[in-house]
Amino acid sequence: MSSVEGSSRVRRTATLLGGIAVLALLLTPTTGTASSRHGAALAAQQQPADSPALEARGRELYQNACASCHGPDPAGASYYATVPSLNDVGGAAAVNWALRTGRMPWKDNKGPAIERGEPRFGEEDIRALTTYVGKAVGDAQIPDVDPARGDLQRGRQLYGQACAACHGMNGAGAALGGQNIAVSLQDVHPQDVAEAIKIGPGQMPVGGGLTDYEFGTAASQQEVDDIAAYVESLRTQPYNEGGAPIGGKGPVPEGFVAWVIGLGILVVAARWIAGRG
Amino acid sequence: MTDSDQQGSERVDVDRQSEQGPALTGGQRRAERRAAVALGVAILAGIGLFIVYFAGGQTQVEGVLFFIAFGGLGIALGIWANHLLDAREVVEERHELTSGAAGRQALGDALTEEVGPVLGRRSVLIKLLAGAGGALGLALLLPVLSLGPAPGNSLKVTPWTRGKRVVDENGELVTVDTVPEDGFLTVFPEGHEGTADAQTLLIHVRPGTLRLPPERMTGVPEGTQVAYSKICTHAGCPVGLYRAESQTLICPCHQSQFDVSDGAKPFFGPAARPLPQLPLGVDAEGVLIAQGDFSAPVGPAFWDMNRGR
Amino acid sequence: MSMVTERSLKYLDERLGTSSLARKTLRKVFPDHWSFLLGEIALFCLVVLIFTGTFLTFFYTPSVREVVYEGPYAPLKGAEVSAAYNSVLRLSFEVRAGLLMRQIHHWAALVFVAAIVIHLCRIFFTGAFRRPREVNWLVGIGLLFLALGEGFTGYSLPDDLLSGIGLRIFYSVTLAIPVVGTWVTYLLFGGEFPAPDIISRLFVFHIMLIPALLLALVGVHLAILVLQKHTQFPGHGKSERNVVGKRLWPEQTFKSVSLLLFTTAVLALLGGIAQINPIWQYGPFVPYSVTSPAQPDWYIGFLDGALRLGPPWDLNLFGFTISEVFWPAILFPGIAFGILTLWPWIERRFTKDRAEHHLLDAPRDTPVRTGIGTAGLMVFFIMFMEGGNDIFGVLLNVPVETITRILQWSLVIGPIVTFLVTYWVCRSLSRSRLRPARINAGLRLSRTTDGGYETVSLEPAGGDGEREPTPTGPHAG
Repeated sequence: MSSVEGSSRVRRTATLLGGIAVLALLLTPTTGTASSRHGAALAAQQQPADSPALEARGRELYQNACASCHGPDPAGASYYATVPSLNDVGGAAAVNWALRTGRMPWKDNKGPAIERGEPRFGEEDIRALTTYVGKAVGDAQIPDVDPARGDLQRGRQLYGQACAACHGMNGAGAALGGQNIAVSLQDVHPQDVAEAIKIGPGQMPVGGGLTDYEFGTAASQQEVDDIAAYVESLRTQPYNEGGAPIGGKGPVPEGFVAWVIGLGILVVAARWIAGRG
Repeated sequence: MTDSDQQGSERVDVDRQSEQGPALTGGQRRAERRAAVALGVAILAGIGLFIVYFAGGQTQVEGVLFFIAFGGLGIALGIWANHLLDAREVVEERHELTSGAAGRQALGDALTEEVGPVLGRRSVLIKLLAGAGGALGLALLLPVLSLGPAPGNSLKVTPWTRGKRVVDENGELVTVDTVPEDGFLTVFPEGHEGTADAQTLLIHVRPGTLRLPPERMTGVPEGTQVAYSKICTHAGCPVGLYRAESQTLICPCHQSQFDVSDGAKPFFGPAARPLPQLPLGVDAEGVLIAQGDFSAPVGPAFWDMNRGR
Repeated sequence: MSMVTERSLKYLDERLGTSSLARKTLRKVFPDHWSFLLGEIALFCLVVLIFTGTFLTFFYTPSVREVVYEGPYAPLKGAEVSAAYNSVLRLSFEVRAGLLMRQIHHWAALVFVAAIVIHLCRIFFTGAFRRPREVNWLVGIGLLFLALGEGFTGYSLPDDLLSGIGLRIFYSVTLAIPVVGTWVTYLLFGGEFPAPDIISRLFVFHIMLIPALLLALVGVHLAILVLQKHTQFPGHGKSERNVVGKRLWPEQTFKSVSLLLFTTAVLALLGGIAQINPIWQYGPFVPYSVTSPAQPDWYIGFLDGALRLGPPWDLNLFGFTISEVFWPAILFPGIAFGILTLWPWIERRFTKDRAEHHLLDAPRDTPVRTGIGTAGLMVFFIMFMEGGNDIFGVLLNVPVETITRILQWSLVIGPIVTFLVTYWVCRSLSRSRLRPARINAGLRLSRTTDGGYETVSLEPAGGDGEREPTPTGPHAG
C-alpha cells in the first residue's frame, strides 16, 4: 500500500466518520429542556392554601429572593423599569408558572427571552410564595387543567387559530423579533399551558388569543383543556413516523441535511468510485 | 485482448493486474472477497425487506435495509470496476466538429439554389401567408385567456361593506366585549367566514395607546377596538403573530413588523405600506359592524393598485 | 458467444443497423475524474424521482374538494380537509411503504437540485462551458430552472399549510410583475387567491409538462455530450485533439451503475430515517392561518431570503405602482440568472477567447473567473442564510433584526471581499506550483511484449513517466 493510497484511505475514513457524526448530531431530535417538566411535576396544581403559616413562609422567601427586584410589596411598584410589578402579571398563576418553570428567580438572559430551567424552589416553597403573593395582589387562584377532559380535535383547531402563528403548528417555537421568542411546546406540562393562557406572559396576549376567554368560566375551561390535550399530544404522540424530526423546524434543517449528508456522502462515493483515476 | 491490440502496439498498459485468465493477484483476490461480502450482505438485506414488508412494514427499517441492499451492490460494483477489471487507459481521437468551409458552402448553395427560389418568386403569397399565419397564431392563443377571469376590480374590493356585522371564523357574532384587553381575534364579515381577502385582525389595545388621526379614530369603537387587514402588504401571508406587550405585529414569512398603535405602519422589514384599517362601529345590539371597506386595497402591491377603486 | 446472443444481435442488426453503432459505443472513452460524476449524481436522482414519483401519482388526488379525514392521525380525525391533503395523509399513514416512497421522493428532489448546482459549479470553475459547449451550457441552465419549477410545484401539491403559504407568496410575486402582473396571475391561478384551480394545474405541470421538458432536455444534454465528447483535465498524453480515459464498457458502465446504486442507497436511507415535510403536523392549508417558522425548500430559500433582505421601497410611477417585492423577487433573480445564463458570452467578451477548448482549466489558473464565481455563490449563500434568519436567531440567541442587518451589509461587502480573497488564493496557489495529486500518479504496472512486467512511475503533467496508451479510434479495431 503506497503512501498515496494510505493517506487517501485515512482521508476517506475521516470523512466517513465526520459524516456519521454530523448525521448523529443533526438527527437528534431537539425538543424543550426536560427540566421544565421536572419542575412542573412539582406543585403542579397545588392551590394556594388559606394558611397563615404558609403565608408567613412565603413572605420570608419573598423578602429574601424576590424583593430586591420586585419591590418590598408585591402589590406595589418594582425597583426597576424593566421589572414588572407583581400586581400586573396575572397573580398567583404567574408566580406559580415562573417558579415552576425555573424562569424565576431571574438568573440570566443569555439571549432573547428569559430561559426556562430547573426550578430553584421546592414544592412547598413554591406553594408558600404563590399563597403569599396571590393574597397580596388579590388574585390567588391558579388554573385547573386536565388534558384527559379535553377534546384533541377541537384542541388542534383552537391551537391553530390562537397559538400556531407564534408557536408553530407542531409546537416547534419561533423567533418573534427583537428579544422575543415563542418557546417550543413539544415538551411542556399542561399546567404551563393553562397558566400561560391565563397570564399572557411576555409578549403573549392575555387569554392566549382565544375568543371570549374568561378565567373561571366553564367554556374557557373547556377550551383550555382542549388546547392542553393537543399540546400534550405533541409530547406523547408527536407522530414522527418519518424518522428523526431534525428539530421540527422545517425545510431549513432539511436543506442542510440534503447537502451535508445526502450530497456529502455521494461526493465521497463518487471519489471512491472514480478511484485513483 | 483483441487481435488488433496485439498487433497494433508495442506495449499494453494493464494497470497493475493481469487480463482475464488464470492467476489473480493477491490484491484481486482480496477485492473479490470484499465484493462477495458486500453482495452477501445485500442479499440478506433484500430478504430482510421481504420480511419487514409482510410483517406490516416499518419506514425506518425499510429505509435502512434498502440502504444496505443498494449500498452493498454499489460497493461490489465499485470494487469490481476498480480492482477486478482489465482496466486500461485508452485514447480516442477527436474528430472535427465542424463540417468545414466546404460543407458550409455546400449548405449555402443548397439554400440559394433549392430553398430560395421557391419562396422568392411568390412574394405576395409569402406576405399573405405570413399575415394569415400571424393572425391564426394569435388566435390559437385565445384559449389561454379562458384560464382565468379578468382581474377587474377584484383585487381592490373585499366583501366588507357598510353595516356588515363582524363574526369570528365559526360565525359567532363579535361584540365590544368579546376580545379581552391585550387580546386579538381573526374576524370576517357575516356570511363570508373564512374568505381569504376579508380576513381581519381585531385587536383590543390598551386605552389611550392608539395614536391615529381623528378621522381614523372614528372607526375604533371605545378607542380600543381597532381592526386591520390580516394580509401582509408585503407578500400576502397572514400576519398572525401579535406581540401584546409592545402592541406590534410581526409577519412570520419575511419578518415585517407593524406598529398597531400607529396605524399598523411597518417599522422593520421589507413591507412598505401599513396594513389597511377596517373602520368599525357598533350596532344597536352592541355587535361590531363595519363602516365600509378597508382604507386601502388589502395585501401586496400590484401595478394598478392606486388607480381608482 | 452463445447461439441466442448471436441470433439476437443479428436480428437487431438486420432491422436497425445496430452493430457498428454498438461497437463504436462500447469503445467510447470517458475521462475519469471524480468531478465528472457529479452530473451523473443529478441524473440518478432524476431516475429515483421518476420511479418514486410514478408510485406517488397512483395515490394522489389533485382536487381541493372537501372531504372528512378519518385516518389514524388523531388530531385531524373528523376534520374537513381537501382531497389532495387527505390523499397524501392516507399515503403516509395507510399505505405500506407509502411514507418511505414519499420521503425518498422529497429527499431526492432536494439532492437533485444540490447535485445540479455542484455540477454547474464544476462546469463553471473549469471553463467547460467554452466553445463548443455553449449550447450545452444553455441546456443545463434550462434543466436547472426546470428542476426548480418541478420542486416547487411538487411540494405545493399536498395543499398543506406550509406550502400553501409559499403559494400565497408566489401569487404576490407574480402580482408584482409590472404592467401585466395581475393578468398573468389571474390566468395562471384562475382568479383571486386562494384560487382552487391551482392545485390541479400544478399537478399538470408537475407530472406532465415539466417532466416532458426535463427528459427532452436531458436527452439533448447527453446527446451533445456524446457528440462533442467529454472535456478532460490537462495531463500527460492529453491534448485538445484527443480524449484519454476509460472505455464505456466495462469500466465506465460499472462505475456509473455503482454510482446509481449508491445514489439510490443514500436517498433510501434519508427517506427512511430522516423525516421530511411532515404535512400532518402542519395541517391543511387555511388561507387565514399561518405557522412559524415558515420557509420554502432550500432551493427556493434564496428567494425567501432575498424577500426578507429586500428594502421596503415601493415606487409610484404616474399613478402606477411597482411593488417592493419587485426588486428581490423579480429584478434580482432576473439579473443573477441572466448573468449565469449568458456567462459564456460575457466571459468571451473580456477574454476575447474564441478558440475551441476541450482541456479544462484548473480554477486556480483563472483567478478572475473563479473569484466572480465564488462571489456569486456567496451572494446566494447570504440569501439562503437570511431565509432562515428566525431559526438562526433562536439557535444563536440573536434577534432576527440583528441577523438581517448583518446580512444586508454582508450582501454589499461580502461578494467583493470574497472575490478579492479568492483571487489572492488562486494567484498564490498558482505561483507556488502546488498541484493536487494528479490522477495517474503513483506506480503503474506495465506489461511488456515478452510477457513480463515492469513498473512505471507516472509523474504529473510534465514529468517523465512513460505510458503509451492503447490507441483506439476510427482506424483501430
